[in-house]
Amino acid sequence: MTLLNKVMLLFRRKRFDSELDEEMAFHRAQAEKGFAAAGMTPEEARYAAMRQFGNGARMKERSREVIGFRAETVAQDIRYALRQLLGSPAFTVVILLTLALAIGANTAIFSVINGVLLKRLPYEQPERLVRVFLSNSDYPKFPLNPFDFLDFRARSHSFESMAAFNRGDVQLSGTGEPVRLFGFGITSGYFHVLGLHPQLGREFDRAAEIPGNGLQVIISDRLWRTRFGADQGIVGRKITLNMQPFTVIGVMPAGTVHPGNVYHSLPYGESVDVWWPFSFAGDPNRRGSHFIEGIARLKDNVPLAQAKSEMNAIMSQLGREHPNNDTGWGVLVIPLYDEVVGQSRRMLLVLLGAVMIVLLIACANAANLLLARASSRQREIAVRLAMGAPRSRVVRQLMTESLLISFLGGGLGLATAFSGVKALVALLPSDFPRAQDIHVSAPVLAFTLLVTVATGLLFGLAPAFQAASADPKDGLQKGGRTTTWTGGQSRVRDALVVTEVSLACVLLIGAGLMLRSFLNQLRLDPGFQRVQVLTANLSLPHASYAKEEQVERFYDQLAENLNQLPGVESAGVGSDLPFTGYDENAGGFTIEGKKPPAGQDFHARYHMATPGYFSALGIPLVSGRFFTEGDRQGAAQTVIINRVMAEKYWPGENVIGKRMSFEDAPKSDKDWITVVGVVGDVKDQPNSPGAQNAFWLPVLQAAWTSDMSVVIRARSDPRLLADALRNEVHRLDPTLAVADVQAMDQIVDSSVSTPRFAFALVGLFAGLAIVLAGIGTYGVISYSVSQRTPELGIRMALGAVRSDVMGLVLGHAAKLAGLGTAIGVLAALGFARLLKTLIFEVSTADPVTFATVAGMVIAVALLAGYIPALRATATDPVNALRAE
Amino acid sequence: MANRPDLLPGTLDMLILKTLTRAPLHGYGIAQSIKRLSEDVLTVEEGSLYPALQRLLLQNWVKAEWKMTDTNRRARFYTLTAAGRKRLGIEVSEFEQMIAAIGRVLSDAQEA
Repeated sequence: MTLLNKVMLLFRRKRFDSELDEEMAFHRAQAEKGFAAAGMTPEEARYAAMRQFGNGARMKERSREVIGFRAETVAQDIRYALRQLLGSPAFTVVILLTLALAIGANTAIFSVINGVLLKRLPYEQPERLVRVFLSNSDYPKFPLNPFDFLDFRARSHSFESMAAFNRGDVQLSGTGEPVRLFGFGITSGYFHVLGLHPQLGREFDRAAEIPGNGLQVIISDRLWRTRFGADQGIVGRKITLNMQPFTVIGVMPAGTVHPGNVYHSLPYGESVDVWWPFSFAGDPNRRGSHFIEGIARLKDNVPLAQAKSEMNAIMSQLGREHPNNDTGWGVLVIPLYDEVVGQSRRMLLVLLGAVMIVLLIACANAANLLLARASSRQREIAVRLAMGAPRSRVVRQLMTESLLISFLGGGLGLATAFSGVKALVALLPSDFPRAQDIHVSAPVLAFTLLVTVATGLLFGLAPAFQAASADPKDGLQKGGRTTTWTGGQSRVRDALVVTEVSLACVLLIGAGLMLRSFLNQLRLDPGFQRVQVLTANLSLPHASYAKEEQVERFYDQLAENLNQLPGVESAGVGSDLPFTGYDENAGGFTIEGKKPPAGQDFHARYHMATPGYFSALGIPLVSGRFFTEGDRQGAAQTVIINRVMAEKYWPGENVIGKRMSFEDAPKSDKDWITVVGVVGDVKDQPNSPGAQNAFWLPVLQAAWTSDMSVVIRARSDPRLLADALRNEVHRLDPTLAVADVQAMDQIVDSSVSTPRFAFALVGLFAGLAIVLAGIGTYGVISYSVSQRTPELGIRMALGAVRSDVMGLVLGHAAKLAGLGTAIGVLAALGFARLLKTLIFEVSTADPVTFATVAGMVIAVALLAGYIPALRATATDPVNALRAE
Repeated sequence: MANRPDLLPGTLDMLILKTLTRAPLHGYGIAQSIKRLSEDVLTVEEGSLYPALQRLLLQNWVKAEWKMTDTNRRARFYTLTAAGRKRLGIEVSEFEQMIAAIGRVLSDAQEA
């Protein structure tokens, strides 16, 4: 009933007011008549009536409150606040820009955090999914041997299901132009583990794991739609992969996301188009080679630790059964979530921290601006208090203003964030997990709202309470112009500036450390020459190159032809390229006259190369020789090793002429491979702690794969050779695709894209922070100068010279900056430890960075103080004194 | 104004409703009536009276109409509604219970 009446009154507000006016006028008239009848003069009676009636405006307001809604007074406050903001446009623009940048940056970074860290992985009960690896002191995260996997699957009880997978790209032909597709060999139950189901057909059964049954394929929704017109009858059809007929047995739905892998890695994402059945071929007792990766789903009641210890128990059992290959390994069981985002989590949290610091600085700045304004509004507030406004009403009004400012800032920030997120995603390193999940989504909007409200409350509270606790008498007596800056206020403002400076200092030191680390990685000698080298990847389809000799002949011929090209310094072919992720590992080989360390086997990265490979890449020869044309099938087997391997397995010896073998018990000379050269070390990644053991076999003796990388050292710009490379390949075989043509420079660049990304953002935020801190310092110093004009005038009148005044003002700035920097440096010493895993070969207490930043911060603060100081020295003592 | 005794909180609505049981009155009339009947002890401040009347109107306990006074001026007269009469009964009985309770406490305190 009440509500209904209120709503009806909403439409009669004008009439309500005029009726109330009339009623009050009538009341006053009656009272006046009453007083007159009691014997007062008409004049006295009128005044008595007015006095008795009291504050008419206040009464009307209270009547209106009775019939009004709470929202109406809020709307009133907002209108008033808007008028206030429009009244001081400079203040409004500065504060809104500051907040928009800070809130926008927070929203953008949170979009990344939400998409990458907070969203659940798109599998059924993703928290129960784990990845399974082997681990020892040299290889902390190592792929599995297929037969070890079969034993894991058969013997473990901790898992509801377990599967393995292995990268194997394929070439699709037959319908349209041949294309190279990302593919994986998977065991049966792979999709069952993930909790994904084909939209058509079924997934592979155990029978498909038997060698010879492998000509089946499951395809992605994308491939099904783009190449096969979403044919509902595709299941059972044959398609041509690697020149062989494969029967389609299933189609996965859209949103089938590859969980990411480490060996021939393809990052997490909807990137895989073809899954073929992994088959377990070979001798189950030879378990030295590791190339498949495990994924499993924990049973509901089994904790991770229990699964881990069961797997380790199985591994030691296997070690007893296969002492040559399976000793010395532990099993690593890692939650899939950690595996997907683990590398990025620390960096993203650091970015969130950085952007939060920017927000805090922006809050401090806004609070400072509001405090300054509150001082000049002291008179207005005093008048309102004197007129009978309750303090709570004044606080509410001021808080409304702060919240209005933060909401306007937040709105602008959100607009910035929409474009900011696009820019961020474009900037992300190409292998960054879950980049496609980053959007400004509902949770992000909720976060922005939260941040906006919190920001408004944070920077609004202090000024509001300070203003409302003011004594109206003081405000009125002092008048508007020369309100003195009370000690308490100046302490609050100084403290805010010190906070800003110290926060900016922390951020700058973080950025400085990341810059140093980034430069270290750039300056690092990679072990090869990065400029003027062109690279490309080739894959020879098995159907046309079934025999090893065919592969060898093709690459031998290609390398020779490329070396004849004008503009080519040298050219070669190898199984892989530096900094593109390691590929093959060999474990359990034999070294003549040596025993492997207890509980371990001999192991090394396993590569192939043609004679020109090392010189084309500029990898230096340490001793011995590179491969020659003579190192071919039929001649004695040769190998080139790197320096690390030479020093590890033949310490202090001349390694040239020493022999190793892939046979457990080499019988004749034919089984032995002779070391003919030692080359310089190349690390897996620029920030790897050190190079791993590695050896290269000549392509012409051991072409165990047909996937190779071509390397060409050019005499000038290597990109000019791209077409010549394609021509040479197509002259030998027109059906081949030349993939990933890029300069070695680009590969090196993308290998440091993550540190570059982190540094760029932290640097950007640090820049923002120092600018804001500078503005804050400027604001406080210039306000203090304007408040101290009379004092400075007196000093000058008493004989102080310009340099004294300058010193006084700059001294104030220096005091704030010095204190802020000291606190910032101490805080940074603590916080920098969080950066430890993110920075490379820089101490977290790097004195150069700390000193540079400290100097820079103080310089900025002094500069910010210099402008008001100049103004102070220009004070005319006469004017300054008159102003009082 | 400050040294007059304040009305007991919550009693103003009751007093207004009671005043209106005899005849419809305008705001000034209500204030005067309360003042006269209480022999000048209770003074209703206009600043409280009109907001209170708005409150009663919203609850439909009184209704208002513009009428001419004896002196031929337009004034808003308030009339008690049936709901208002019921409400008055509730408030009076609650008030009497309260007064009786306070009385018991006070007389006990005097005996002790």
